Amino acid sequence: MTNGTQPMTDQTAPAVEVRNLSKHYGDFVALKNVNVTIAAGEYFVLLGPSGGGKTTLLRTIGGFHKPTKGEILLHGKSVGHLPPDKRPTTMVFQAYALFPHMTVTQNVGYGLKVAGLPKDQIVEKVDYALEQVGLSQFTHRKPHELSGGQQQRVQLARAIVLDRDILLLDEPLAALDAQLRKDMCLELKHLQEKVGITFIHVTHNQEEAMTVADRIALIANGDLVEFGKARDIYRAPEKSFTASFVGENNMLKGRVAEANGSSVTVDVAGSKLTVDKRGLNVTDGQEVNLSIRSECVALDRVNGTNAPADGLSILGTYDESVYLGLTTSHMARLPDGTEMVSRVISDTDDTLPEANAPVRLSWKPGDIRLHVE
Amino acid sequence: MNDYDNIWLHRLKWTYLLLVVLTLMTPVMYVMYVSFNQNGFGANEYVFTWEWYGLIFSDELLIGALRWTLMLAVVVTVITVPMALLAAKYYKAADNKLFPVFLLLAPLFVPPDILGSALLVFFKNLNFALIWLGDQIGTSLFDSWFRLSFLTATIGLIIYTIPYSFVVILITMGRYRKEQTEAARACGANGWRAFWDIEFPQIRAGVFSACAFTVILVFNEYTRTSLLKGGFDTFTTVLISQMLNTGMSPQSYAMSAMVSFVAIAVIGSIILFTMIRAESLSRTARAKAEPVMS
Amino acid sequence: MADLSSSAGGAVPAGTDKTPWRERLAPWAFRAPLIFMVAFFAIPMAMTVVFSVFERTMFWMEPGFTLFSYENFFFSARLTNFLNSMKYSLISVAICFVFGFPIAVFVRKSIPEVAQHRVVLLFILPFMVSEIIRVFALRPVLQRNGLVNTTLMDLGIIDEPITALLYTHTGVVIGEVLSFLPFIVFSGFLAMEAVPKYIFEVCDDLGVGPWRRFVDVILPLAAPGIFAGSVFIFVNGLGVALLPNILGGAGAVNAGLIATQAITALDFPLAMAVSAIMMATLTTLLWIGHKLFDLTKILTPLS
Repeated sequence: MTNGTQPMTDQTAPAVEVRNLSKHYGDFVALKNVNVTIAAGEYFVLLGPSGGGKTTLLRTIGGFHKPTKGEILLHGKSVGHLPPDKRPTTMVFQAYALFPHMTVTQNVGYGLKVAGLPKDQIVEKVDYALEQVGLSQFTHRKPHELSGGQQQRVQLARAIVLDRDILLLDEPLAALDAQLRKDMCLELKHLQEKVGITFIHVTHNQEEAMTVADRIALIANGDLVEFGKARDIYRAPEKSFTASFVGENNMLKGRVAEANGSSVTVDVAGSKLTVDKRGLNVTDGQEVNLSIRSECVALDRVNGTNAPADGLSILGTYDESVYLGLTTSHMARLPDGTEMVSRVISDTDDTLPEANAPVRLSWKPGDIRLHVE
Repeated sequence: MNDYDNIWLHRLKWTYLLLVVLTLMTPVMYVMYVSFNQNGFGANEYVFTWEWYGLIFSDELLIGALRWTLMLAVVVTVITVPMALLAAKYYKAADNKLFPVFLLLAPLFVPPDILGSALLVFFKNLNFALIWLGDQIGTSLFDSWFRLSFLTATIGLIIYTIPYSFVVILITMGRYRKEQTEAARACGANGWRAFWDIEFPQIRAGVFSACAFTVILVFNEYTRTSLLKGGFDTFTTVLISQMLNTGMSPQSYAMSAMVSFVAIAVIGSIILFTMIRAESLSRTARAKAEPVMS
Repeated sequence: MADLSSSAGGAVPAGTDKTPWRERLAPWAFRAPLIFMVAFFAIPMAMTVVFSVFERTMFWMEPGFTLFSYENFFFSARLTNFLNSMKYSLISVAICFVFGFPIAVFVRKSIPEVAQHRVVLLFILPFMVSEIIRVFALRPVLQRNGLVNTTLMDLGIIDEPITALLYTHTGVVIGEVLSFLPFIVFSGFLAMEAVPKYIFEVCDDLGVGPWRRFVDVILPLAAPGIFAGSVFIFVNGLGVALLPNILGGAGAVNAGLIATQAITALDFPLAMAVSAIMMATLTTLLWIGHKLFDLTKILTPLS
């Protein structure tokens, strides 16, 4: 229900601009100095562990929390302390947010009724919205007569029927079971492409985030850690937190042995590893983190003669393997006790190394990344 | 009850429960019994009659008292229940819950005679203070504000009934999810509209129960009302003065029996209504939910 | 409130500078009940202390400071009566607990959840008749040739009517139990919310008998609610005047009766002293209870 006569949207301005936003609850800091810009028409995901502040950020954008510091601009206009109903946003909640005493039609049409639309227009719009979410045959049901997935679809319809430009989704799929969640993810993505408005989606599930997102922001401990395209976040994480949260990364602690030119030599558990410097500032002797995704690690048996120190491999002892269906994870232990995982497609019936057998873990030059914070 | 429980032990416990209720009800039923006796209270012979019920409306003292009582009940309910609702909303949102809880539930723990005496002396002193203040600034405007009257009785009864309304409303609110209010706000409804369209329909049962409770409590209250009422008489105070002086008239028995009949009917229908509603809701839910394939 | 400072950090658009009066008024509307309770409940109750040291005049009181009313209370038969009523009130609490609390346990444990509230609602039926009429109706039940005595004699259990049932402390205790028993059921029911149903299954699984289960598990978990219910009964046993007035005999005088008698005798400072003493008793009990059990827990199922 954006006001039709007075345009609230400035097409050139980003849909959402968060500037220096902080939110405190007494002594507890839920958000500290967050800055983020979300373009109009973008599917943006806030990803992070629970309690990290992502929901707080979403709800502050929606007007359910007052910022302690900083401001929020929607389409270039500061929304200050406007209540939720005065903002160009609408929201889909985790669960329990349907009005239990109303039918599906009444639920979806509620916002239009509040806006004072004529009845026939309401009927038309509600029908169209329900069609889009595939619920046309359930119009007269009450919420408790719907399955969890259907309930969330009704919430979606209730939100998109309002034609607002920003849709906030607060863990919309968290209450659904795994298979349904996968299906609904794709539906969400397609719906967003169809209606073309900005979606901001909060989740702690990285697969969900990867499926839907144009861009992902990682939020933990009240900080916006990193944001970027899904692919970049996964393949080239900037911060070690991102590496540890997204994908299945091996995290290695080490000390800089030598920093020269574009690469650095890091001493990890007695091995010298070479890693791209990425323009970071490192000094000799500095403690750093290395990350490498488990599917990039190859595991070979060591037969005494091989294992040259090439800077792209490390020696350890074999621990055990875990069969996961599509992939198998091989676990090995480095001399300092760190566990490393090598994940491979489970298509071989090769005999596995026995426990405590020496193994060599190796990777290609671009796969290992340096983190200095 | 579980599959392995002893069915007879279970029935025995039920019997005990009903027996206790019955024992508690004895005096009530005794009043009802007497109200149908031609010969009134204490007579050896029992002759069934409706006569006294017919005579209720000819007893002017009772009718006058009944009018006062009804008025008091209506006024107190109209103030108490919305206040309890506001208080419950405040309590839900409050960070420090101890203070509101203490303030709203403490009247439960203050015995009637103590509350009545304290308020009586407070109002009298307040009245004197206001008269004195009026004299100082040359006005008699405040003179009768807190003279014992309908107003003081109303205040006393609000304090008496608010904890009950508060608890009843809070219990029904417990089942309400605040996400629904937020969803309504996200749909464009302002705070009041969200409350009225979404929350109120779901706590309506509690609000109405609170109303029923308040009316019944006011109707039956004696101590606080009689201490604070000033000039008029309510139904119960008339009964008591009869009791303590001449003995209750048979129509008084009929009257109090009638009041309890009405009250029991109200509570009984609330119980029945919620039971039938819950039953039919779950039945339609089952019927409708079955063919769903998602 | 912390939120008031929140505009400091960001530029607030001009439109929101003047908050509409409705929004500024709303928080006060929610506080109105509390303000009312402070003005007409908390302050009057606190003022009893002040009024109790005022000088008594012929028909009223005048400002002053005297401890005469307290002397009048503590150095007379009133103190003995008060302490006696405490004893009998405690007995009533114990009887109510023994008869009433198992009902709360039974309702929570063995009755389907949807029906629980309705079963508990049965116990408010007695309140549909004015307490005073209910108590008054106990006279013909308990008196020398009343319902109880005639029934017992007809059954041949006793030969002589029991006269101790009415106009004695026993009469008052019976009246208290019949008036207040529902409250232990209510508070017990609320308290049992703190005892999840699976506890019973765990106890069965571990082979814990009903008695140990009650003492080791139920009692500690339900303690706040039980305590609140007991304080309620105890204080009302001390403070409801009409019970000793109608059912009690010589010496059965509780604080409520002392206060009302003082008011009838126009000794207002004494009535206030009694009220102040009662409030002190109540506050002390609730304070101890809160320190021991954290009484706010009772309301957690509601919030």
